[in-house]
Amino acid sequence: MNLKGLQQIQRPYPATRIIKSIGFISLFLVILYSCTPTEKKEKREVKLIPNVMQGIGENLAYQKVGLLKLSDYGLFQEPLKNLQPTQMLLPYDLNTPLFTDYSSKLRFIHIPEGESAEYREREVLDFPDGTILVKNFFYSETQLEKGETRIIETRLLIKENGSWIALPYIWNEEQSDAFLEITGGSVPVRLSGMDQPFEYLVPTMLQCKSCHELNGDIMPIGPTVRQLNRNYPYAQGVANQLQKMVDMQWLENHPDNQKWPKIAKWDDKKNYSVNERARAYLDINCGHCHRPGGPGKNSGLDLTVYAQGEHSLGIFKAPVAAGAGSGGLNYDIVPGAPEKSILLYRMESNDPGIKMPELGRGLIHKEGIELIEKWIKSLK
Amino acid sequence: MKNSLLSLAFVIALFSCDSVKNYDPPREFTDIEKELQTKFILAEDNSTIELGTGHFIFTKSLILEGKNNVTIRGGGVLNTVLSFKGQKDGAEGIRIANCSNITLEDFSIEDASGDNIKVTDTDGITLRRLKSAWTGVVNEKNGAYGLYPVLCRNVLVEDCEVLGASDAGIYVGQSHEVIIRRNKAYWNVAGIESENSVNVKVYENEAYENTGGILVFDLPGLTMTGENIEVYSNEVYKNNLRNFAPSGNIVGIVPPGTGMLILATRKVNVHGNQIKDNKTIGIGIISYELVDLIAESPEEIPSGSEQGSGQRLNRKYEEDLKYDPYPGDVHIHENQFSNRYLIPDLRNPFGKIFLWKFGFRPPHIAWDGIKPKGYILADGRVNPSYRICVNEDIDVKRVILDVKNEFKGLTTDPEALSCDQDN
Repeated sequence: MNLKGLQQIQRPYPATRIIKSIGFISLFLVILYSCTPTEKKEKREVKLIPNVMQGIGENLAYQKVGLLKLSDYGLFQEPLKNLQPTQMLLPYDLNTPLFTDYSSKLRFIHIPEGESAEYREREVLDFPDGTILVKNFFYSETQLEKGETRIIETRLLIKENGSWIALPYIWNEEQSDAFLEITGGSVPVRLSGMDQPFEYLVPTMLQCKSCHELNGDIMPIGPTVRQLNRNYPYAQGVANQLQKMVDMQWLENHPDNQKWPKIAKWDDKKNYSVNERARAYLDINCGHCHRPGGPGKNSGLDLTVYAQGEHSLGIFKAPVAAGAGSGGLNYDIVPGAPEKSILLYRMESNDPGIKMPELGRGLIHKEGIELIEKWIKSLK
Repeated sequence: MKNSLLSLAFVIALFSCDSVKNYDPPREFTDIEKELQTKFILAEDNSTIELGTGHFIFTKSLILEGKNNVTIRGGGVLNTVLSFKGQKDGAEGIRIANCSNITLEDFSIEDASGDNIKVTDTDGITLRRLKSAWTGVVNEKNGAYGLYPVLCRNVLVEDCEVLGASDAGIYVGQSHEVIIRRNKAYWNVAGIESENSVNVKVYENEAYENTGGILVFDLPGLTMTGENIEVYSNEVYKNNLRNFAPSGNIVGIVPPGTGMLILATRKVNVHGNQIKDNKTIGIGIISYELVDLIAESPEEIPSGSEQGSGQRLNRKYEEDLKYDPYPGDVHIHENQFSNRYLIPDLRNPFGKIFLWKFGFRPPHIAWDGIKPKGYILADGRVNPSYRICVNEDIDVKRVILDVKNEFKGLTTDPEALSCDQDN
C-alpha cells in the first residue's frame, strides 16, 4: 500500500500553496475553531425512584412462567440457606468461571432419572429434557464488610421440550427462601473495604437471554467439556467431574478421557501461560456473545478459544457499532499496546453504554484487567 | 480583488458556524418500570402493549424476546416518553430480539446509554411515528444509534424523527428488504445509514444538519455484504455539523458537509434527490481502501517499516475474501444539486484539499478514483460491476480525485463519469 497519498492528506498543506496570505489562513482557523462547540454537557442527574425490591415474595402473576418459590423444586434441604443439595443434585465447578461482581457461586446439576447428556466436543453438553442447572450467587461473610453470608439470587436453567428457560429467584432478607422475580431487581451489597454499598443487579428474565443465547435459543454457557474437565472434592472423595458423570451414567457417547479438551484456569499462573489464561478468560466472559451465532455476532468478533484468524479475535479489527464504546480508539486489540485497545478500555469502564460485559458488571474486575493487559502487551 | 473575495469568504464562514444544537424538553418522570417490564416479558403473541401517556423513566433495557405479532403503542411522541436517562444496566433502551412481526409506534424514546431501539434477528419490524433523541447539547457521549434494526428481514421505518445520535440516527445493518421513508433525521453524525444490507429503499426522507445526510456503506468482516440500494426523492441539505462520533467508529471518517456518501457498495441507484447546501460534497463515492488510509494516521502506525505496517493494516479487510472494497454499478441521475457555500468545511482534510484543488467551487459529486484490479476489461471497457455512472445536468460538477496517486490524475472532466463511456 502506498501511504504517501495519505501522508499528504494528513499533513497540513503549506498555506502558500492554498492562498498566498498566511495571515488570512490563520484568521480562517481562528474562525473555524471558534465555531466548534467545545462544551461537554454532563448527563443531567435525574431523581429516580429507587428500584428497591418491594416486598420480595410470591407473585401470582408469574405462575405461568415457573414455580414461584425456590423451595417448590425440592432441590435443597431445609433450611434452604445452607444450600445443602438433596439427592437430585450433583455439584460442579468450572475451570474458568464468568465474573459477576465478585460474587461467589455454587453450581449444581440435575438430570432426571434414567436420562443422560450427550458429549459435545466444543459446545455445551446436549442435556436431556428435565435437566436443571442451578447457580447460586452469594457473598461469604469474609467478602462482606459486615454481616453473615448473604445469598442474593439463584438462577435456574430448565430444559423442557427441547428448549431452555431461564428463571431468576431472589432471596428474601431472612434468607428463608427465594422467589421468582422475572423483572429482576437490585440489591445493595457492601463488600469488605468498600465505603458505600454498590448495587448488585439481578437480571430480568429476558436479560438472561442477552448472554445465554445461541442461534436464537437460550443456551447454558458454563457446562462444556473444556470447563467441566477438572477435579471436584465430592463427599465420597476427589474425582474428575466428567468421569463422575460417566460413572453416574449421566454422560454418553464420549471419547476416551485423554481426548477431552480442557481450558486453562485463568488464575493458575503455575500451570498455564499468560496466553492460555487470557484466552480462557475471554472465552467464558466474552465468547458467549462474541462468537458466530451468539448475540454479539453482528460485529464479527469471535473471542472463543476456537477463534480463527487474528482479525476475528479483534487484532487490528475496527469496531462496527461500538459508538462511545470505542473510547476514541481505532482497534479492538493493538498488539503490544493495551492502552490503545478498545477491549481493555471497555473492561475498565463502568458506564452502561461502554462497559463489557454488559451485565453482571457493576464492579470492575481488577484481576481480569491485569491479565488481559499483560496479554495484549505480550502480543506482537 | 482577491482580498475582497477572501473577506467575503470570512463573512460566510463566520455566519455558517454550527449553532449550538440543544434539545431540552421539560420532563416530569413517573416510574412504571416494574409494571412495564412485566408486560414486555409476559406479552402474549398477537397482542398489543399500550404504553399509556406520561413521561416514564427506566433503569434497565425493556426487552421483547421471541414474540410474534406484538404491537407496542404509545399515545404520540409528545404524550408518551420513555427515558433511559440514568440507565444502570443494559446498553439499549428497547431491545427486540428473535421476534416476528413487531410494530413500535407513537412514542418518544430518549437517552439510552447505547442505542435507543435495537432490533436484532427479527423478521417483520415496523418503526412508525417514533421520536428518538438524546437530550441536551449534542455531544460524543450520546448513544450510537437511534433506530437500529440489524440482522433483520422486512424492515419498515417510517414517519420517525431522529436526533442526537453520535453515530447514525436511523441505521439498518445486515438486513434484507428494507424501507426507510418519510423520516426526519437531524443533528446526528449520520442521518440515515444503510450498511451491508440487501434490497433497501430510502425515499422521501429529510436529512439535514447532520455531519453526513445519507450513507450507504459496506464494511468487511460482517455476516453479509449489501447490494441493490435505491435512494430517491429525499431532501438532503445543510449537513454541515461537526463530526462528533467517538473516534474509532467508521462514521468518524465522514467529512462535515457531506450530503451522501457511498462506500464500497454495489448496485446503488441514487436519483431524484434534492441535495443542497452541503458544504464539502453533495455525493461522495469511495472505496474501503481509502477508509483504511484515513483510519490510521501515519504517526499512530505501530513501529516497524512503513511497508510492514501497511501490510498489517490491509489484512483487516483482505482477510474477508467475500468482501469487495470497491464501489460499483453506482448510478446517479436526475438529482438537483445546489450549494450556496463557497468554501468546503475545513475541519476535515478533504475540505482543505477541495479548497486547494477547486477554489471557491467545491464539487457536487466526487469519486476517490481508487480502481480495483480488473477495473478495465480486456476489451478496454470499464467493468460494469465497477462502473460509476453520473447522468446529471452539465453544470453539476463531478470530479475523480485519484487519491492514491497524490491527486495527480485528478480530473474535473464531466465526461469522466459519463454513463455511455465505452472506452
